[in-house]
Amino acid sequence: MDQKPSKLRVFLDPLFKANPLFVMVLGTCPALAVTTSFESAIGMGILFTFVIFFSNLIISLLRKIIPDEIRTPCYIVVIATFVTVVKLLSSTFLPELYSSLGVFVSLLVVNCIVLGRAEAFASQNTVVDSMLDGLGNGVGYTWAIAAIALVREVLGAGTLTFGKVFTFIPKVTLPILSGYTGSDFSLAMPLFKSSAGGFLVLGFALAIIAAINNYKDKKAKEKARAERAAAAKGGNN
Amino acid sequence: MGTVGYVVIAIAIIVVLVALFTISFVAYVKTPAPAGCEAGKGPNCENCEVVSCRFYASAEERERKKRQEANSGEKGN
Amino acid sequence: MQYIVSFILAIVSYMVIDNVILSRYFGICSFIGVGNKIKSALGMGLAVTAVTLIAALVCWPLYNFILVPANMEYMETIVFILVIASLVQMVGFFIKKKSISLYKTLGIYLPLITTNCAVLGVVENNMAYDFGRSMANALGTSLGFILVIFLFACIRIRLEGSNLPKAFKGVPIALIVAGLMAIVFMGLGGIVDLGSWGLI
Repeated sequence: MDQKPSKLRVFLDPLFKANPLFVMVLGTCPALAVTTSFESAIGMGILFTFVIFFSNLIISLLRKIIPDEIRTPCYIVVIATFVTVVKLLSSTFLPELYSSLGVFVSLLVVNCIVLGRAEAFASQNTVVDSMLDGLGNGVGYTWAIAAIALVREVLGAGTLTFGKVFTFIPKVTLPILSGYTGSDFSLAMPLFKSSAGGFLVLGFALAIIAAINNYKDKKAKEKARAERAAAAKGGNN
Repeated sequence: MGTVGYVVIAIAIIVVLVALFTISFVAYVKTPAPAGCEAGKGPNCENCEVVSCRFYASAEERERKKRQEANSGEKGN
Repeated sequence: MQYIVSFILAIVSYMVIDNVILSRYFGICSFIGVGNKIKSALGMGLAVTAVTLIAALVCWPLYNFILVPANMEYMETIVFILVIASLVQMVGFFIKKKSISLYKTLGIYLPLITTNCAVLGVVENNMAYDFGRSMANALGTSLGFILVIFLFACIRIRLEGSNLPKAFKGVPIALIVAGLMAIVFMGLGGIVDLGSWGLI
């Protein structure tokens, strides 16, 4: 068993090094379903952060009371309670967001990340650590789905809606076709907004991350080899 | 029926369901698996990568032990 | 007659046009995790089918005859997840007791089904439908799940030996293949005129 990680590490690790979506590849269902628009992805991220923060908090508070044998039922009840709270709150205060997320608010109950963090972290760590872990995972997941939504919305619709509409791909006039159906042609690719586009964007994102990691590993290995060679040389002298 | 009645019914439903779940959960866990199907065994587990599976941890543990044994064997040689 | 035809068309539409994995994005975790061997893919698919059908059968009356009259629709999520989780454990219990061969094919996947979004997603969607349509939804969705997970397993066997760039090995290429399958399934959208049958 290695030594206990510091509070800062507990919070920062899920942001990049152990990102729930990009590194652990968990919670892919909402990551693909709600990322057609940037706004709903951010909204989903906030709701997700709320649920994982409070479920981690309660589960770590109760970790000594819950008998080991029935811990899964207890976790499910705690998580489902907070999902219901989130559902009621968002349908009252953010009705637009609630209707755009649809059934995926309810599906937070079966989100692998929430249950996984409850089982793997909150059931064994202190309250403060669990809260930080929940917050870190929430923020890490939020930026991950926001990044995917950014790519999908900008490429798929040509615009980015966040409060107001920013246009990235302007409508163009094509001289050859203008007499044909009108003068405004969008160069956006609706494929990225369709269901197939989600898979493709996430697949390429994971491939890019794997490529970066491979490159880093290679560099580290080369460095270690060079150091070993230098040490051997020193030893000979 | 007043507000109190609704709250009582809601809590009763939840309690009944949780009890049902707990009983079936304990019954399931306590029942021994048929011979040859113990956790992490069998051809079905070999290629599965579902991290949230409760057998995954045991499979990982096995893998690590295997690796450790291999390492210690190398050192012995 | 018209009812039977629309029932069959609804099943077809939920199975291929509005496919559970490729277009509704339910159950992707298990789709990516299991899709390596045809046998395990089928086992997973059958387990999902069994639980989805029973859950849909139990939850629809529960919602419409108990929660709605008692004005407690807000409890649907917590009630459904508890019902599904109990069902999974009960089915697992009986399979463990009664049938070794069944346990070997789908028993070990049952604990995973509780956290499979396909089951809860279907049950939640069904609350807006009448009984016939919700059964069609459950049946079509689970058939679609088996279909896609089986096709995907077949493709992944071929991928295993292929000469891929190192960065794409594993999950990334699986997602890209799923994306291409989604494009193919989009083309199937034309086989049923959903609007005329009131299925949209």
